[in-house]
Amino acid sequence: MAGAVTSVGRWLTEAVPRGRVAAFRTLVYLFVAADLVIFTPWVRTRADVPGELYQPLLIGRILPLPTPTPLLVHTIFWVLLGAALLAATGRAPRALGWPVFLLYLEWMIIAMSYGKVDHDRFGLLVALAVLPTVGAARHGDRTRTEAGGWALRVTQIAVICTYFLAAWAKLRFGGLEWMTGSVLARAILRRGTDLADLIAGVPYLLIVAQFGIMAFELSSPVVFVLRERWRHLTIGFFYSFHLVTMATITISFAPHLIAMTSFLPLERVRPLHWLRQARSPRSAAAPPGPVDPPAPQPAGQVDDTGQVVPGRPVGP
Amino acid sequence: MDMLTTRGRAVRLVATAVGAALLLAGTFWGTDDHFPFGPFRMYSTSNPANQPAPDTRVEGVDRAGSVVALDERRTGIRRAEIEGQQDRYAAEPELLREVAEAYAERNPAAPALVEVRVVVRWHGIRDGRPTGRFHDETVVSWRAP
Repeated sequence: MAGAVTSVGRWLTEAVPRGRVAAFRTLVYLFVAADLVIFTPWVRTRADVPGELYQPLLIGRILPLPTPTPLLVHTIFWVLLGAALLAATGRAPRALGWPVFLLYLEWMIIAMSYGKVDHDRFGLLVALAVLPTVGAARHGDRTRTEAGGWALRVTQIAVICTYFLAAWAKLRFGGLEWMTGSVLARAILRRGTDLADLIAGVPYLLIVAQFGIMAFELSSPVVFVLRERWRHLTIGFFYSFHLVTMATITISFAPHLIAMTSFLPLERVRPLHWLRQARSPRSAAAPPGPVDPPAPQPAGQVDDTGQVVPGRPVGP
Repeated sequence: MDMLTTRGRAVRLVATAVGAALLLAGTFWGTDDHFPFGPFRMYSTSNPANQPAPDTRVEGVDRAGSVVALDERRTGIRRAEIEGQQDRYAAEPELLREVAEAYAERNPAAPALVEVRVVVRWHGIRDGRPTGRFHDETVVSWRAP
């Protein structure tokens, strides 16, 4: 028993490079800012919706959170936008990370308290809840961290739960008949694109697709036992599934897609670093490659985010 | 490598177990009310292969007699939220006045609405495929006094 707990604990906290956490953190916080203004801008319209239509969720009743007013909605919007953009730089990961998590959670409670709950952001909420626990992580740093490993691992688990437990919910609410029913035809009628109308015309294709969705959701946890190459291919397949749902029934699941990058070696994606390399003639001669050369850095080195590397003296 | 302390590892293990337990409980017995730990029930209901599909919309009639589509952009209220509270509207059509108010708030220059109604367009489905036929049903309506 103790041995099993130990090995689960080791798997949950399998170390990852700090640079991966830094990249994931920047991506997640940039997404929060983009979500406010681009992906779910309708949350802001709550300022104009009469309070009588507010039907607080259990968490809103327990805490108890106030009924949204224009002042509350606009204040959260601007404070959260500013805090998320600052947090994206990697500075003050705890002092900024915790407020961003709490404000975004409240933002989502406001969003979901008018009669419809969305199910596309459990992974993102988990990521926001655990990122502050990692502490400082510098872009490009290859030092491995167990705290960072845990943050990414629980985000991955949340992402896969979104698939696996969605299949469970289909069996709970729809039963086995879900697969032979007309759920996709309904979705297409309500929000289908021209491409979807074309697909709907093929006899039995939607029913086959329903079997396929159930199979893929039920088998999604397999991703955790695959070797790296197959794991990445499987994640690629998950992304392609969302591409198809976007192209047919215009459901983006954007927050989930961002959380799912926790499976990827994000530390290799360093746009600011590449930009600087391209501009500086000294390092232009360096061998090309997605990963930083492990050359020792001068004291007081400033990283991608403009942050002074912790533990190194500033200046010569 | 940054190692976790024994305590740090134990705290994380317990947090993971508590989160997983809440999510599993939500999936087995919970409802949307238990957000963020409710069941992932998007598109989870089952409908017989030949059952007509509802496509709900909210529309208003303004003083000039024009019909206005009251969508999310015009009222700040999402369609699924109208559907989610449809029983409430049916029991209390007076609530649709709130939709008219939300519209007036966001469109101050537009003529006031004298009627708001929730209309369901029932699309025919055969063998899991749309037939292309439909009929409209007004399920709730409210008229300004």
